[in-house]
Amino acid sequence: MAEGLTASRWIYGLAYLALTSVLILWSILPIQIGPRGYPGPDLLLAITFAWVLRRPQYVPTPLIALVFLITDMLFMRPPGLWSALVVLGVEFLRAREASSRELPFPVEWAMVSGVMIAMLIADRLIQTVLMISQAGFGLAILQLIATILAYPLIVLLSRLVFGIEKMTPGETDIMGRPR
Amino acid sequence: MARDRGNSDAYVRPIRRILIGGLVLFLLAIFLIWRIDSPRVERFRAQIVDRIVPSFDWALIPVTKAAGMIEDFQSYSRIYEQNQELRRELQQMKAWKEAALQLEQKNAKLLDLNNVRLDPKLTYVTGVVLADSGSPFRQSVLLNIGSRDGIVDGWAATDGLGLVGRISGVGRSTARVILLSDANSRIPVAIQPSGQRALLAGDNSSLPLIEFLESPELVRPGDRVVSSGDGGVFPAGILVGQVAQGADRRLRVRLSADYERLDFLRVLRSMPKPPLNDPGGLVLPNGAAAILEGAETEAADG
Repeated sequence: MAEGLTASRWIYGLAYLALTSVLILWSILPIQIGPRGYPGPDLLLAITFAWVLRRPQYVPTPLIALVFLITDMLFMRPPGLWSALVVLGVEFLRAREASSRELPFPVEWAMVSGVMIAMLIADRLIQTVLMISQAGFGLAILQLIATILAYPLIVLLSRLVFGIEKMTPGETDIMGRPR
Repeated sequence: MARDRGNSDAYVRPIRRILIGGLVLFLLAIFLIWRIDSPRVERFRAQIVDRIVPSFDWALIPVTKAAGMIEDFQSYSRIYEQNQELRRELQQMKAWKEAALQLEQKNAKLLDLNNVRLDPKLTYVTGVVLADSGSPFRQSVLLNIGSRDGIVDGWAATDGLGLVGRISGVGRSTARVILLSDANSRIPVAIQPSGQRALLAGDNSSLPLIEFLESPELVRPGDRVVSSGDGGVFPAGILVGQVAQGADRRLRVRLSADYERLDFLRVLRSMPKPPLNDPGGLVLPNGAAAILEGAETEAADG
């Protein structure tokens, strides 16, 4: 039993890694170069949050930190800042995973949106204080809105494709932790 | 059993908190080091990109080509309009070609008369676009040529016609080109025919802004914009585009390079010019005698 669970952890951890690699690869494909009208949603962030709120044991925080540090490096963002904020956001959600199991989806959606907004504000604030030149605020807001709108879709897809659902009481031990 | 777990929980939770705190501090430390010593970390970044992206080479090129094919296939639907458009353009081009030929001959004659030697060092290396920046806020592409091909930071990249950007970040086998539309891109340009100097500043739109223009009244939409060269390694006189006026009445540049079709980029190999360090000999009171002497001997020789 325990071995089976460990195996599934490994498998889903690898699935997360593979999924994020595909997304990173897709975003660096030189299909459309140059300025685009609207930035698409930050799918990596949405998937990470959706998985953390459903199967926290599948996405260990160091793995998330590694993935986001690599994207920081590849996407020419200030290295480390965004990944640190993602780790903080993930930890915040992870601590509330157990209590959010019974919550209806709109509440979870609002919580995730709140975390994303807080992360964006912290990111912009720190970069402004340290006088780093940034892209326009309007673009960042558009991307945030796109990410928030894409979140339910990502949740649905992770459920249909990967079978990532919220944990039921039968799957946890007395302490409410994943068995 | 449950008690055991509770016990381990009491130990695990603080340790976990410390570890996560350490992770966040580590990431923030990377960020601060980057902020303090940006060039070193950027070199490190170039090395990481150099390691990661070429290993995706097998996927990047076929998928990009497939996407290009789909796009080309879609363009069949409007092939008739395109054909008409191309015919019209070809007609105009013929007139231009004639004019260009005449100008070329005239130019060759004038150069010959003046005995001008063009810089023979301005050759180029051509690279394939491997990847783009991946983020909607950064406009850059990654080429498959790097320091092993002699690429140097600051060189210019063109698509054969117009300037595309400048090299910023060189790995062993990859180099990043910051496009002119990137918010961090600043290129010194000259506007012809008035010859005014300005800075071309990207702002994440397809039409970069013209900044620090001394007298905007001398510039008209449609004027040619060429690079004016700076720092010794950025070549001058490369076509950038044409002046256009945006809806907000600010002067912008319509780029000549076709950003929709960046497959191959030419990186212009330009060597830094020897710096002029000696402070004009004649002004110096001490060395004046020696220089005058030298001039006299030269005059005697000549």
